[in-house]
Amino acid sequence: MKRAILSCNGLDKPEGSVARELAIRAAEAISGEIICPVLLNRAPARYKKALGENSLIVVDGCSTRCASKLAAGLEARVDRKVLISDVVKASGHKLPSTLTLGPDGLTMAQTIVDELVRNLNAPAAASESTSIFEAPTEFLTVMHDKFEFRIPVVDYLFNENDVWVRAADGVARVGISDYMQQKLTDISFFDFPKGDSTVEQFGELGSLESTKAVFEIISPATGTVASANSAVIANPALINEDPSGAGWLVELKLTNWPQDQEMLIDASAYAEIVKRKAAEE
Amino acid sequence: MSETTFMGVPRDKIPWFPTIDYDKCNFCMECDTFCPHKVFERREGDRKLVVANPDNCVVFCRACSKTCGPDALSFPNKPEIIALIKQIRDEEAAK
Ligand code: SF4
Ligand code: SF4
Repeated sequence: MKRAILSCNGLDKPEGSVARELAIRAAEAISGEIICPVLLNRAPARYKKALGENSLIVVDGCSTRCASKLAAGLEARVDRKVLISDVVKASGHKLPSTLTLGPDGLTMAQTIVDELVRNLNAPAAASESTSIFEAPTEFLTVMHDKFEFRIPVVDYLFNENDVWVRAADGVARVGISDYMQQKLTDISFFDFPKGDSTVEQFGELGSLESTKAVFEIISPATGTVASANSAVIANPALINEDPSGAGWLVELKLTNWPQDQEMLIDASAYAEIVKRKAAEE
Repeated sequence: MSETTFMGVPRDKIPWFPTIDYDKCNFCMECDTFCPHKVFERREGDRKLVVANPDNCVVFCRACSKTCGPDALSFPNKPEIIALIKQIRDEEAAK
């Protein structure tokens, strides 16, 4: 697979300096093209070919994640992503205090590159889904003022954090409810969880960002992340268009489903929660 | 909002909310700006920010902690809270 690197340009923060250094070194290591975020933002057509031919390694400096957000608007295939502030925190190293990287900063960048390159052969963060799930057909409807919230019935369970789940053959598909989708309005970014990572019920399964808010996805089940919806990663607006169907987010290999279900509610119970939440606003 | 419940348990019985470590907090107010649920309130004096409405916090949400540079926000242990919710539900069911 050919890969290009889209990185934070990072001119005003040490995290950015590390991101930039990492991008240059990674591009050399894998002979990949570097995509300049500034030029991409100004003139996306310039990179049309590169984006069509490559999957992206997206490198963000800090949690503002400019590079990821640029990628989300492009229908690009994101294969890997690195968030420098997180990686540095996890490694126990200290961020450089200046924008010019000293020997320690350069070593840190190289260590992250080595790790990244080593892991490139592992399964991608967002693999394709099993697609054993049919589109929902039956809905309950909750009306509030001029709003209408549709809640899928058959096979769907919910947690009170506005996340749905449906399971078949030991695999669960997870997404957010129509109510939450409307509350967030235009969703512009899906920060998806790493492939193969494990999650507990009520643990975090990544987050969504809209023009209005950031929403932490609270997992309705326990398991291993099997895939994230690549269509949604490339085009987060799909969540607004079809939250219960094509706008699903993550698939999990279930490991504790019988117990998980005790803590979930069905469509009619969730409808009551939506009524209450809508009335409280 | 005293009747508010989470998973059938009265919200005020679930101790889920952020705690500010005042040794680390620099009162940048990022968390307060970020959270839409009016959990935090700004005050005069030494502690310019307090957790004024802990029960407004969305159970299991930890989102504001990611906006905090000095890592001054902490939350309870999730498995313990889940166990507590289960226990209260079981007690209610047994009544
Ligand atoms: S955890 Fe979520 S709901 Fe609670 S204070 Fe932070 S942002 Fe607000
Ligand atoms: S984000 Fe952190 S440092 Fe800033 S006010 Fe909140 S708790 Fe304090």
